[in-house]
This record gives sequence, C-alpha cells and structure tokens, in this order.
Amino acid sequence: MKLTLNYAILKFLTQKEHVSVNDIINSLYFEYNNHKSFKKHLISEILMAAKENGLISEDGYELINDELIIYYSTDENQKKMINKYLG
Amino acid sequence: MRDDVKANDSKAKEYKLKMEKEFLKKGIIISLLSGISYGLYSAFLTLGMSKGVWANLYEVSTLEIFKTTIILSILGAGINDLMSTIWAFIKCFKSGKLGDFILTMKSKPALAIIIAASIGGPVASVAYTIALKLSGSIVIPIAALNTAIGSLISVIVFKKKLSIRTWFGIIICIFSSFIIGFDAFDITNLKILFGIFIALIAACGWGIEGVIAGFETCLIDSDICILIRQLTSTILNIFMLFIILCIFNKDGIYIFKNLLFITITDINSIVFFVLSGFFTVYAFSFWYKGNSMCGISLGMACNGTYAFWGPLFCWVIVELIFKISGYSISYILWLAAILMAIGIFIIVVNPLNYFKKKEIK
Repeated sequence: MKLTLNYAILKFLTQKEHVSVNDIINSLYFEYNNHKSFKKHLISEILMAAKENGLISEDGYELINDELIIYYSTDENQKKMINKYLG
Repeated sequence: MRDDVKANDSKAKEYKLKMEKEFLKKGIIISLLSGISYGLYSAFLTLGMSKGVWANLYEVSTLEIFKTTIILSILGAGINDLMSTIWAFIKCFKSGKLGDFILTMKSKPALAIIIAASIGGPVASVAYTIALKLSGSIVIPIAALNTAIGSLISVIVFKKKLSIRTWFGIIICIFSSFIIGFDAFDITNLKILFGIFIALIAACGWGIEGVIAGFETCLIDSDICILIRQLTSTILNIFMLFIILCIFNKDGIYIFKNLLFITITDINSIVFFVLSGFFTVYAFSFWYKGNSMCGISLGMACNGTYAFWGPLFCWVIVELIFKISGYSISYILWLAAILMAIGIFIIVVNPLNYFKKKEIK
C-alpha cells in the first residue's frame, strides 16, 4: 500500500542510517515528486518535529557548499515505535 | 585539526543553532496564533448563536431552559464543526493533501486522532459551548486550564517530577480561578458557577486531546489531522443532537430535521458560523502543529494565552461591534484572566531556560 509522505519519510528512516533531507528527496523522488509538500524546507520541518517528539534522533551535521546538512537515524526503540504505528 | 576544517565546523554549528532557533520561533508563533484563533472562534460562535433565528430559538422552545441550552449548544457546536470541516477540506484540497487524507484514514494513527477528537470534540466542545451560553466569556479562562491539565497528564505519562516553578504556576492558576469563581458567585447566581464546572470538563477533554494530538502530528500532517478531527466531531455532534432530541421529545426526528434546516439556511447567523468555523480550523491545526514543533509544554503554554484573547475578542466583537450586552468584563476578571495566562505559561515552561538549553547544545 502507498504511504503518506510523512509515513514514507519515517519508514525510510527505519531502513537507512545517517539520513539527510537530500537522501530522502533522492530516494522518494519518483514516488512523491508530484506531492505539493515534497519540498526541502517542508521535509526538514517534518524531520525536526519528529526529532522533537523523540521518534528519530539527530546523527551529526556538516556544512557542504555552505549548506547545512543534518543527519538523522533511529535506534531500535524508535524503529519499533514507528513500525508499531505504521504497521 | 586544520584551521579551515575548524572554521567550517564552527560555521556549521552557527547555522544549526540559527536553524533550530528559527524552528522554535516558528513553533511559538504558530502556537500563539492558535490562541488568537481560539479567541476569534469563541467570539464568532457566541455571536452566531445570538443572531438571526437563534435569538428566537430559546423563546419558542417548549422545553425547560436547561434542556434547551444543551440542545442548542450541541447544535451550535455541530454547525460550527460542519463549517470548519468544509474549511479543513478546502485547505487540504488546495494543498494537495486529500490523497494523503484517504491513506491516513486507513492507518492506525488516524484512530488515535479519532479518539482525541471524540474527547476534545463532542465532549469538550459541547461542554464549552454550554458553559459559554450559561456563564458568558468568563468560562474561557477556566477552559484554558486545559494547558495545565495537559501538562500534568504528560507529566504523569512521562513520569516527570514537578518543579517548584510548575507548582508556583499551578497555584497562580488555582488562585485566578478562585478570583473568577468568587467574583461570578458574588454578582450573579448558581447558573454561572454551574457553567464554570461544565467548562472544567472542557478543560480536561482538551488537556487529554492536546497530549495525544501533539504526538500524532509528527506522524500525520496537521491539515489532515484537523480534517479528521472536525469530521469526527461533526458526525458525533450531529448524531448526539439526534439522540438527545429523540429522548426529550417524541417528535424528535421532525424537530431534528427542522432545527438543522432553519439554522443552516439562516443567512443572518450562518455567516458568523462560517467565520467561527474558519478560525476553528486554525485554532486546532496551529495547536496540533505548535505542540509537535515546540513540544507539548511550550505549545500548550502559548495556546493557553487564549485565556486572554477569548474574553478580549468576545468583548470587542460581540459587545462593542455588535452591541450585544453581557460580554463586558470587570477589571478584576480581566486581571484574573491575565494572571491565569501568566500562571499557565509559568507551569509549562520557562522560556528563558528553553532558549539557554538550546544554545548549550
């Protein structure tokens, strides 16, 4: 079944480690490219809210070509929690 | 470490702090806007239920006053929810989220929103509307205690100890409710005190809803959350109206159809329900979004400022602009409303600490 954009982002984070917003855009591009919320700043906000609520954790950051790249990962508990909800 | 790498690191840190600050600032603004929208929704709902055909509904009813108040309050909440569902639908349609709405409805988190909406919608909203009708805008700060209750629930759920600051805030809130209750008792009658008690039910309902919804909004887009919320609430309110009418009157089905028809087609009042419905969408979607962006405590604290915005807009819109008396507020009640908003803010967060913590990180 197709997932909503929010669910797809969280699901992606349970499958890959050290994920940036650019990784999400590249990976979900073909499926969600037509989605009006499929924009970098909106996806960044989804990630920051998920982090604020403890669903995902920050996993470092760096500056590449003057652009701030933040990485996120999920631990076992977070994976379990996300999968329980999206099950 | 090479100097250029070091410089790059400190620049990255600076960018990240700036980004976090902006995110928090946006969350705070959204939460404050939810409080303002709450105030406007309260004012327009009160206005709608006093205008056009509504002005006569209380007089033509053959039922006793309390039963009439319950029925009309559910009807008012139901029409307000119906209008806000239409607005929420338009909002989702415009932002291309209807597809996601259907997908969300098939998922588990949607059930949590439906449960939150059932507690916050039919239970709390109807209690709030009854309280508003019984006691006027004075119940608004009482219902705003939901922030304190929500914060307490999250403390129990997450097993956090209460700080001295939190207790201080709770005492301020109880003290201000005492001022409000005492003043209301002093000037009028038991009907107002009963309205205040009903408003406390609304406060509990919204407290529970805030905790559930704050978390759910990081799973579901806030626009979709609100469409689910308002749709659930509309269906339950209208169903509840139908059941209650059938209990109170043997011609319940006929009265139900008639009431819905005359109130929805009454141009003089429905225009205000369209406005109250519009602000309801923002009151709740900003509340949910704010809670998920800056955490339940801070989000609910900023939303709780509607203890101030509610009476203010009721007074300005209902009394000053539309000349319906009964919504002016005495100085002592103004003071209590402001004091309660301050208490709520102290309970849930110390904004200075919040900023400091972020910077240390």
